[in-house]
Amino acid sequence: MKPRLNVLWNEIFCKRCVLCVEVCPVGVLSLERDEIVEKPGCIRCYQCERYCPDIAIEVMDEGNRLSS
Amino acid sequence: MIDRSYKDLLKMRRFPHTWCPGCGIGAVLKNVAMGLREMGWDYRNTVIVSGIGCSGRMGGYMNVDAVHTPHGRPLTAAEAIKTVRPDLNVVVLSGDGDLASIGGNHLLHTARRNPDITVFCNDNEIYGLTGGQAGPTTPKGTKTITSPRGEHYQPLRLNRILTTQAPYFYAKTTVYHLNHFKTCIHEALRYKGFSFVDIISDCIELNGRRLGFKTAHQMFKWFDQRFHIVEGVRDHLKDDELGIAMKEADTLPKVKVEVSEKPEVSLKDLKPFSLEELASFDGQDGKPIYIGYQGKVYDLSTSPLFQGEKRMRCHLGGKDLTQEIGIAPHGEELIFKFPIVGRLKE
Ligand SMILES: Cc1ncc(C[n+]2csc(CCOP(=O)(O)OP(=O)(O)O)c2C)c(N)n1
Ligand code: SF4
Ligand code: SF4
Ligand code: SF4
Repeated sequence: MKPRLNVLWNEIFCKRCVLCVEVCPVGVLSLERDEIVEKPGCIRCYQCERYCPDIAIEVMDEGNRLSS
Repeated sequence: MIDRSYKDLLKMRRFPHTWCPGCGIGAVLKNVAMGLREMGWDYRNTVIVSGIGCSGRMGGYMNVDAVHTPHGRPLTAAEAIKTVRPDLNVVVLSGDGDLASIGGNHLLHTARRNPDITVFCNDNEIYGLTGGQAGPTTPKGTKTITSPRGEHYQPLRLNRILTTQAPYFYAKTTVYHLNHFKTCIHEALRYKGFSFVDIISDCIELNGRRLGFKTAHQMFKWFDQRFHIVEGVRDHLKDDELGIAMKEADTLPKVKVEVSEKPEVSLKDLKPFSLEELASFDGQDGKPIYIGYQGKVYDLSTSPLFQGEKRMRCHLGGKDLTQEIGIAPHGEELIFKFPIVGRLKE
C-alpha cells in the first residue's frame, strides 16, 4: 500500500485500468510512470474507492492524511 | 469513512483477482459482498453457487461455502441446496451466457418454481471467457468475433421473459449506476422468492475494444446513454429502463372441492375372508395386496409404496396388521384412504 495525499494505493492489486482517474470529479488522480499519483485538491468523495473493481484504492481516514 | 468490513467476505489473500483491468465483474463481486454484509449474511448461513465463465469465477473469491457447477447449472444446484437446507441463504453469481444460454431452460423453470434464491447475473452481453463470441444477450447489430458484420439475431429479453408469470422479482441495473446497483442488490437479497438481478457490465477486453472503447469508463458512459433509471417498483421494464419489476402472485379464485362422505359399509354385507384366504393376496404374481385391519380387509395395491420392485419384497401383504398399524404414527389415517374389499372371518 503506497500512501498518496488522501488515498492509499495498492500497487499489487491495481491493474491500471484508470477507472479511478476517470471517475474522480476533480481530476486529481493520474497514472504516471505506471503508478497512480494524486495532485492536491481531493474533496474526499470516495468515488475512486467505490468504483475501483480491484479494491486497490482507499481513501485514508482524516487523521492519517498527509497534509496537502 | 466507509465500512470496509465487507472484505471479510472476500478471499483477499487470493487478490489480485484474475479478471482483466477494468472488468465489471470485480465491481459485481465487491458490491454483492457489501450487500451480504449489510444483511448480516456470512459463512455461517450463506452459500454461493457459480457456473462457468469469467463471471463464474466469482464464487471462488467469496469467503463462504461456494459451489462451482458445470456450465449452465448453477440454478439447479442452488435450488437443490435451498430445498434440503431452507435455513441457508442461497445466492447465485454467474454470467449471462451461463444463466440464459446453456442454462436457459433451468432459468425458466427455476423462476417458475420460485424458490427463495437470489441470482446476480453479470450481463456483459458477450461470452467473455471463450473469447468474445456473441451470446444470448448480445444486442442486434453488435460486432463480435463470431458476428463480424453485426449480430444477426434479436437478443433474449430477460426483462420480458422473467416478468411474464407472477410472482416475480426482476431488477436491471448497471455497474456504472452504483447507487441504483446497490439498491437493487439490497432489495433482491431481501425479497422472499426467486429474485434475479440483471447487471449490465463491461467486458472491456473482448467486447469493448472491438466496439471502439479504450477504457472501462468509456463503456460506462455508453451504458448511461443506452439506459435510464425509472423510479419505484414497476410491473414491467422496457428494454432501455433500469429499475425493479416486481409482482406478487396472482390470487386465483379457490376451486371448491366437493368432499363426498364415504358411506358407512356394514360389516355383514362384505365378502368374508379367512386368514388363509387373505394370505394368498400378498402381491405375488400380479395378485392384489390385501391387508386386514380391525376386522376389515383393505386393498393396498394402489399405494405407491407397493409398486414396482418393492412389491416383490413386500412382506406385509396378506396379513392382519391390526396391531402393527395401531403402533405406527398416522398408520390409521393412511389405511382409511384405501378401498375396503371385505371383512375378516371371526
Ligand atoms: C458444457 C460447456 N459448453 C461450453 C463451454 C465453454 N464455455 C466456457 S465459458 C462460456 C461462456 C460463458 O459466458 P458468460 O456466462 O456470459 O460469462 P462471461 O465469461 O461472459 O463472464 C462457454 C461457452 C463449457 N465450459 N462447457
Ligand atoms: S480503479 Fe483501481 S485498479 Fe483501476 S487504476 Fe484505479 S486503483 Fe488501479
Ligand atoms: S476521493 Fe474523490 S476527489 Fe479524492 S481522489 Fe478519490 S475520487 Fe478524487
Ligand atoms: S474477458 Fe471480459 S468478462 Fe472476462 S475478465 Fe476480461 S473483461 Fe472481464
